[in-house]
Amino acid sequence: MNDNNTMLEVKNLQKFFPIKSGFFGRVVGQVKAVDGVSFSIERGKTMGLVGESGCGKTTVGKTILRLNSKTGGEVYFNGKEIFGLGNAEMLKMRPHMQIIFQDPYSSLSPRLPVGEIIGEAVREHQIVPPNEFDDYVTRIMQACGLQEYHKDRYPHEFSGGQRQRICIARALALNPDFVVCDEPVSALDVSIQAQIINLLEDLQKEFNLAYLFISHDLSVVQHISDTVGVMYLGNLVEFANKDEIFSNPLHPYTKALFSAIPIPDPTVRRNRIILEGSIPSPANPPSGCKFHTRCTYAMERCKVEVPVQLDKGNGHMVACHLYDDNSGSEKQPETDEASFRAIGEQYDKANENKTESNPA
Amino acid sequence: MTENKTFHTDPDEVKDPNAIQPEIHLDDVQRVKVLSPTMLVLKRFLRNQLAILGLAILIFMFAFSFLGGLFSPYRQQQVFRKYELIPKEYAAAAINKDLRYIVQTGENFSGPSLAQFVLAKNKGEPVFSAGDRDYSYTEKGEDFYLISELKVLTDVIVLAGNGRFTPAAGVELTEDFQTAALEALKSSQTAFEYGDDEYFISRNGKMNTISVAHEIALATKLVFAAYEPEAQPLLNSLDFVEQAQLALINDADSFAVGGVLYRIVIDEDSAIIYRSQDDEDHPFASVSNIIVNPISPDIFLSVDFKRTLNEAIAEGKTTFTAVTQNGTEETFTINRVHETYTVYAQRTSQLIDMYAPPSNEHLLGTDGNGMDVLTRLMYGGRISLLVGFVVVFFEVILGVLIGGVAGFFGGIIDTILMRIVDLFNSIPFYPIVIILGSVMDTLKVNPYARIFILMTVLGLLGWTNIARVVRGQILSLREQDFMVATEATGIRISRRIFRHLVPNVMPLLIVQATLALGNIIIIEATLSFLGLGVKYPIASWGNIINAATNLHVMTSYWYVWIPAGILIVLTVLGFNFVGDGLRDAFDPKMKR
Repeated sequence: MNDNNTMLEVKNLQKFFPIKSGFFGRVVGQVKAVDGVSFSIERGKTMGLVGESGCGKTTVGKTILRLNSKTGGEVYFNGKEIFGLGNAEMLKMRPHMQIIFQDPYSSLSPRLPVGEIIGEAVREHQIVPPNEFDDYVTRIMQACGLQEYHKDRYPHEFSGGQRQRICIARALALNPDFVVCDEPVSALDVSIQAQIINLLEDLQKEFNLAYLFISHDLSVVQHISDTVGVMYLGNLVEFANKDEIFSNPLHPYTKALFSAIPIPDPTVRRNRIILEGSIPSPANPPSGCKFHTRCTYAMERCKVEVPVQLDKGNGHMVACHLYDDNSGSEKQPETDEASFRAIGEQYDKANENKTESNPA
Repeated sequence: MTENKTFHTDPDEVKDPNAIQPEIHLDDVQRVKVLSPTMLVLKRFLRNQLAILGLAILIFMFAFSFLGGLFSPYRQQQVFRKYELIPKEYAAAAINKDLRYIVQTGENFSGPSLAQFVLAKNKGEPVFSAGDRDYSYTEKGEDFYLISELKVLTDVIVLAGNGRFTPAAGVELTEDFQTAALEALKSSQTAFEYGDDEYFISRNGKMNTISVAHEIALATKLVFAAYEPEAQPLLNSLDFVEQAQLALINDADSFAVGGVLYRIVIDEDSAIIYRSQDDEDHPFASVSNIIVNPISPDIFLSVDFKRTLNEAIAEGKTTFTAVTQNGTEETFTINRVHETYTVYAQRTSQLIDMYAPPSNEHLLGTDGNGMDVLTRLMYGGRISLLVGFVVVFFEVILGVLIGGVAGFFGGIIDTILMRIVDLFNSIPFYPIVIILGSVMDTLKVNPYARIFILMTVLGLLGWTNIARVVRGQILSLREQDFMVATEATGIRISRRIFRHLVPNVMPLLIVQATLALGNIIIIEATLSFLGLGVKYPIASWGNIINAATNLHVMTSYWYVWIPAGILIVLTVLGFNFVGDGLRDAFDPKMKR
């Protein structure tokens, strides 16, 4: 896996948050926010990471940037284990991997002018010589759709979309190889979403960026991603390239999730898969396959045995006993693949129309 | 953003086509004036009328306290004095009921001898003894006694009409004396005269002792007063008083002492003795039964004064006019207590100008120490404000340091530091400060050192609030995305703290500090009022109000303590208005 094209490789990443209680802060339990996640991202590619709220998407994003400590597993960035780096080395590594936050309001310091917000880290890491500093910041701002005179303004003078552009400019000013986009558009209205998505795509082409695009908005993920991972309760249940996963979702959870994508065509009949109950607490996850409490195909085995990632061809990984050849069960999901494919195609078309009608 | 609306409608710039570039978006209009958050806060603050009022009050207080002292013509501890006519004790007079003794120069007649004389006089015995000396006395008139010391001349044993004389050592007896003595013995006399001297006989069985009397003192109830100071020594001499007294008793109108003739003029209760010299009579002394003495030895009371006083006493008057030794006529008042009369003269005297009412000289009057109240208020304001600022500065330093470290690093450091905060919070504030105040009283700590100790203690006990606020703010800021972003972009920790955290804590800190200032000023005033904070002679608003602990001062001299109270109230109000104004300005979402 360590070929030159792989930029980020995550192996069995775990991140548990301790639950403390009592006067002395005794650890009484652990929230298993990320419980063994493995994936990799190639240079210049985008990986979409989808899942319900609270399934650990954001924690994955922050942990692979070492903004959290990890509990277990490894994260290789350009072949280096980032948790093995010293503080000084880590500081040098920082500019290569950036993050864009969900909330553009809280992610900008209210007391600094925009030019300073964007340029501060540039100066800190001496990305450009001091005499080129102003021009460089201007260039980055213009690339992100901001004007030079915005430099002296303060975040409160900007709208949500502009703020998100500032966040993107801040991340890109460091000339990164890899950007974690932590639901960068979910706080924005749809027209601005399209602008930002297009901006991210343009910048990706221009600077050859790799993205980890975390979202719960499947249509956006479908639009931007090259590969898609589906998370459920701290686990990556399915991982495949975009076309494969949208046309042929294997995991029952993925199927349920994808069936919830709204289709902007009232004539199409939809086969919604309604999941019963709500997501279990990550502090006390179900045994075996974590999805078995809500899975329509749950078997006795699911309650006991933790499913392993199975390669079903073309790098399509799925963690489900249904596809375990040794399971003895040949029972296939009832939802037929053809209908999913149809849904996916229609959705694609609708999405393209929407993006084109709202040029950035 | 609503704050900027007023700037949107600048017509010149809107109509300038060159100013608007084609790619500018609607909300990017360049004409929007750029306001930094600090300027926005300032604008909002200045729009708050209460805050402006508070600011005006504070500016006045600072000018009053720190500049006022420079313009005040008086010093902080300058005591003002005034000159006033007050009755001062001038002389004392008493009707003499006791015998006064005039003792022969060079003789000793006092203590036990006097007591023995009084005993003997009351018993009617003509002879008495004190120690190893014998005395005799003779009553020459009413309340006039001559006291003599007896010197043993000889012992005599009389046998069948003949006397056998055994003279004392060094004494020789003449025949004539022996004959005179024998005659007196035979007729059982106790005293006889021979020549100029008087001899006394005391019997002890067959043994008779003959002694010679030698005058050593006289006792009289009359009081002799001299007209001229030079006459005084003579009036204390036994000889003169005896002769004068004898003349008075015998109703003689003159007597001679030392070859000088004195004439007596009797006038009701008193008599005047004139000294005849060169055929002219000069008033020499007066005689009465009233003793008049000056209060201090530098006052000489003339006989005229004494006579006038005597008359006034006799007539029961309370005032009289007399000429003093300086030759000026003065009015005196008499105050009688039992048989004693005290004479008061009006004298100008320097007094501390206490509780002077407001005047042009002292706009707010003077206090109980005669110091100018307005000037004290100025210097007191300095101390009160200075204590407030130093204490709050100290609190902020400690609070930011401890709260900041606890909030930024969190975990076990946070737990330990916050427990220390709890510990400090559970120290009962007033008992500690009051005990400390009394300890400093006992140790007689210098008033200036007290201020520093007070500031340190107030600071040490007060930082916890700020530490908590700062810690809470930093804890919440630390989790904000923009702080995560600074970590993600790899900015140094020091820069993260000082560029990102501190500016965001500042607003809260400024508000807290401003409100704490008002609080500290009240605490300082309370302690000084209780006499435990800033001490006299240093002024502070609190110890100026302390004057009101005296009911009389509180009701009669409002100008001493009301202004200090008003200043404290205004200053604290000012700080609170400004603090509230700053809080509202920093947090535009919090609208009333």
